[in-house]
Amino acid sequence: MAQILPLFTSSVKLKYVKLGYQYLVNHILTFLLIPIMLATALKILRLGPVEILNVLKSLRFDLVQILCSSFLVIFVATVYFMSKPRCIYLVDYACYKAPVTCRVPFATFMEHSRLNLKDNPKSVDFQMRILERSGLGEETCLPPAIHYIPPSPTMEAARGEAEDVIFGVIDSLLQKTNLNPKDIDILIVNCSLFSPTPSLSAMVVNKYKLRSNIKSYNLSGMGCSAGLISIDLARDLLQVHPNSNAVVVSTEIITPNYYQGKERAMLLPNCLFRMGGAAMLLSNKRRERRRAKYRLVHVVRTHKGGDDKAYRCVYEEEDPQGKVGINLSKDLMVIAADALKSNITTIGPLVLPASEQLLFLFTLIGRKIFNPKWKPYIPDFKQAFEHFCIHAGGRAVIDELQKNLQLSAEHVEASRMALHRFGNTSSSSLWYELSYIEAKGRMKKGDRVWQIAFGSGFKCNSAVWKCNRSIKAPTDGPWQDCIDRYPVHIPEIVKL
Amino acid sequence: MDHYFMILYSLPLLSLLYIIYKIVDQRRHQGCYILDYQCFKPGDDRKLSTEFSGEIIKRNKNLGLNEYKFLLKAVVSSGIGEQTYAPRMVFAGREENPTYEDGIFEMDEFFNDCIGKLLSRAKVSASEIDVVVVNVSMLASIPSLASRIVNHYKMREDVKTYNLTGMGCSASLISINVVQNIFKSHKDMYALVVTSESLSPNWYSGNDKSMILANCLFRSGGCAMLLSNKVELRKKAMFKLKCLVRTHHGARDESYGCCIQKEDEQGRVGFHLDKVLPKAATRSFVDNLKEIAPKILPVREILRFALVSTLRKTLQRAKGGARPVINLKSGVDHFCLHTGGKAVIDGIGQNLNLSEYDLEPARMTLHRFGNTSASSLWYVLGYMEAKKRLKKGDKVFMISFGAGFKCNSCLWEVVRDLGDGNVWEDCIDSYPPETLVNPFLEKYGWIQSEDISTFKFPE
Repeated sequence: MAQILPLFTSSVKLKYVKLGYQYLVNHILTFLLIPIMLATALKILRLGPVEILNVLKSLRFDLVQILCSSFLVIFVATVYFMSKPRCIYLVDYACYKAPVTCRVPFATFMEHSRLNLKDNPKSVDFQMRILERSGLGEETCLPPAIHYIPPSPTMEAARGEAEDVIFGVIDSLLQKTNLNPKDIDILIVNCSLFSPTPSLSAMVVNKYKLRSNIKSYNLSGMGCSAGLISIDLARDLLQVHPNSNAVVVSTEIITPNYYQGKERAMLLPNCLFRMGGAAMLLSNKRRERRRAKYRLVHVVRTHKGGDDKAYRCVYEEEDPQGKVGINLSKDLMVIAADALKSNITTIGPLVLPASEQLLFLFTLIGRKIFNPKWKPYIPDFKQAFEHFCIHAGGRAVIDELQKNLQLSAEHVEASRMALHRFGNTSSSSLWYELSYIEAKGRMKKGDRVWQIAFGSGFKCNSAVWKCNRSIKAPTDGPWQDCIDRYPVHIPEIVKL
Repeated sequence: MDHYFMILYSLPLLSLLYIIYKIVDQRRHQGCYILDYQCFKPGDDRKLSTEFSGEIIKRNKNLGLNEYKFLLKAVVSSGIGEQTYAPRMVFAGREENPTYEDGIFEMDEFFNDCIGKLLSRAKVSASEIDVVVVNVSMLASIPSLASRIVNHYKMREDVKTYNLTGMGCSASLISINVVQNIFKSHKDMYALVVTSESLSPNWYSGNDKSMILANCLFRSGGCAMLLSNKVELRKKAMFKLKCLVRTHHGARDESYGCCIQKEDEQGRVGFHLDKVLPKAATRSFVDNLKEIAPKILPVREILRFALVSTLRKTLQRAKGGARPVINLKSGVDHFCLHTGGKAVIDGIGQNLNLSEYDLEPARMTLHRFGNTSASSLWYVLGYMEAKKRLKKGDKVFMISFGAGFKCNSCLWEVVRDLGDGNVWEDCIDSYPPETLVNPFLEKYGWIQSEDISTFKFPE
């Protein structure tokens, strides 16, 4: 056990003890109340039933006293409920389904690659090898501008793709939730590599004629984990503004960023990134509780930018010919595992059941005080979550995480199938995976979902959702027409 | 028995007091304070004079006489002086083909200078920063600029970063809005807000008239601010945020399209500024004022304005007098206007009945630093501070416009007397100058009377 995950145990400090102390202090009132209540109850019980009856008879139930005490109790209860942090509900979400004309089967991709890179057969070979092992299927989509030979990434084409994806996905969301655009109070759009002025959020405001006092934010450059960063921002905003609706749109616009040079490390994103987008409706209105699908429990963000190697592992730069592309370094997996470890050590105490935490705490204390040779206890995350949505960054990422977290094939099925059907759609991939789980009818009320995403920087963000109501299949969504064909077996290498 | 009743009564009372204490404590921690700010002053080798601007325009093969005339006229009458700063690649003669690296290098130069100075002056180490918000409209890089800062200054792992782009010249107030909201739900935080604009990769080298103006007006600049909601730093802070209002007119097609980045006929990307821009700006400004005025003005001013407006409406015979203007000066002592251009400053001054004294900081900033986009407000604030105008209790009103079309405004209260020279230190004594007229007006004024058929580019 210890050999597989030495990373986790080597640097966990007394963080857990600190957390326990925090817990104690935060709930000190509850902890004080219990002994007092116990003492009172014991005292009363010792009196015996006859004595209790006498006492009750002798009580002077003054009207004023009763009124005051009941008023006090009701008042306290109201203030308590009003001062609780608001629940954030995910009412519903929609994922983008590209038209069939945008599909890029392997044959198309390789043919275009051969024609575009005709002077570099080695690079074409490289792309073919990547595609064979990528875990992608034949139905992934690229935007129309990239189908040209050579691709024509004009700003107008990029705007066109943005409009297709974002408007398509928001239309779908508005229809699913019966939301009036005028009721949107907060709008957050995240798209890493395309940021025109005025922003994409202004484009949405313009198309749907949203209100003039809308709070709009446009995040960019934050990589594939930007979806969860937007959710974090939405959560902070919804805590401040009562009775509000927030629409979060996550997408990646491929058109302007298709690498047209021949450096191998930069051709990799071309093979993996595909068109996709998702829009979510979050709300803190109490009446949404009835129809909301999920409730947001935690969002934990980890930023490894302080470490130079982690910072440079996904880096946009110019190649020697001056063409701009994204360079993926070879130690991406190691850095991802490291970032995941940091994220897990923070999220562990928040989600693990008390039993796992206590076991871990005792083992930790034992190791520090008694005998350092005790085997460290690794908490079992499968006990904390029913479903896992791992960002479909590539086959290697999913394999690595499955190994590190000791997940079964069924746990990572959603990620693998989303990668196969839609490719790496960057920040929206988590929502395609969630949609898969729902379409398979596996989502029951009370299930907890853990979404993990990695992004440039190097960031590892995770969000924990709790299912609010059982979702019956068949659902309408991007998997509607093909869910019956899944899961498929994805071979190690697909011979092209 | 009475003891038990005492306990029974005291318990809810105690818990009520505890809950009230928690709520009050939370409110105390929700204030948003600026501890310090540092504007960027690029090196002297980046100063752009009108003469050199003329050279740049001449160098561009795509521009003919009409454009030359138009541009020189714009440069000369823009209110921009001789000491504004341009991106480095212009001086290297590479403005036709700016590279991505140029853009990144421009940002790095600004970050390394300003943020280091800010943190050392405020005596806050980078590992204490909890939130980083960066807004640079026209550059999206992977990893984001916020990550660049985290990497360079080795910040903590749980830092919250937000990288806003595309939000135009009013984006710095949007970043302050993000920080304000985060402060309301988290205690004891330090936030770093970095605002700038990327000019290098966005230099337009075509000849579409609506797009070449952007090159003449925008200049390099930036600002880094340190904000906090820590209770113990309240007295040492510089400014306290009183209220912030955002107005978004993107729903109107006209407003949305008046300031937009797009390709011209030849496929070159440029920033298109439409003729209806002033109208869209005024409309959004009026809407924004309608919302913020009741929050910042004393009651008697609001009543007076309401009374005068209704009187004017009811009395059908409008005496042809001027429309009633709300007197912002009753609740505001200083005005920080976005230095979008001479026309913008004049327009706002007229609309709000502001005196030359009120408009001086904005005019001088336009003259000394040009239109530095989102960070211009902070240069204006710096001018006021350097001129020792900011005293404890004063109210500063900031207003900015941006693409989209957005109008954001906010009100700051000065916490203590301020008088640091910051970026204006070396030149504040020469401001205001006797005349703002461009010294090259005579040299280039002749161009107004040239004839296209006999025109030859001067040597």
